[in-house]
Amino acid sequence: MSRNAHPHAMAPSKPGRTRTAPPQLPDQFPFGGRYLAYTLFDLTGILYVVLGLLALCAVWSLGSGEADWNAVLERNRNLFSVGFHGIALVGLIFVGIRFFGFFPKAQPPHVGPLKPPPKPVILVGLYALWIGVTVCLSIVLAGGVF
Amino acid sequence: MKHPLLKLEPLIWLLFGQGILLGTILLTPWVLIVGLAIPLGIVPTDALSYERAIMLGSHIVGRLVLLGLIVLPLWKGVHHMRHTFIDFGGAERDALVAPLLYLLATIGSVLALVAVVRL
Repeated sequence: MSRNAHPHAMAPSKPGRTRTAPPQLPDQFPFGGRYLAYTLFDLTGILYVVLGLLALCAVWSLGSGEADWNAVLERNRNLFSVGFHGIALVGLIFVGIRFFGFFPKAQPPHVGPLKPPPKPVILVGLYALWIGVTVCLSIVLAGGVF
Repeated sequence: MKHPLLKLEPLIWLLFGQGILLGTILLTPWVLIVGLAIPLGIVPTDALSYERAIMLGSHIVGRLVLLGLIVLPLWKGVHHMRHTFIDFGGAERDALVAPLLYLLATIGSVLALVAVVRL
């Protein structure tokens, strides 16, 4: 069932000269067809806010002293935390794949005299950056270097 | 008069875009090691003992990574939450919800800056 969207959501700044029908939400919104991935992508916002706040708590605790930092490591061991981070990892991979998929298509044809590299080159570069940073930072965090 | 949020739109979009790109790139190893590998015993806890964690975190590169790791995902998150709220019929309350969400991200960003400075 479609329903009326907010009537001013797509209103132009000045009224047009022709009458237009009010915007309608698509029938398949929010979880049908192609809207499933769209809605899930939007919902990862909640995941990112929670991850950002958890990282803030961890860094704050690190600055507060050894006891607080050890408490963070201990808290991360509980089943709920491990489960959440497992879901978070799936969410991060989903966001990365989706975003990197449309990033090359979203590039302008040129910026002044400069043209962006071919789309496959951008895509490979993005994945190389993601995998490279993940491997390097994981090695550092896991105690492999430094 | 232009709504203040419209004036800030380019900055918000910059932080949102970098939140998706850099936030995802930085959060992946953080979640992998701090959230999963150490709690599951795959990586020994000593890898992030207090002494080692403070040594890594207090380095200038460490501080920048930690700042990006906190701030950028917050902005990506609140911007997406705002649009999810609008998509689910909350457009009429956007004038209230959007400033609240961006205020949350701003407070989180300021606290993140304080947190990395005090390391």
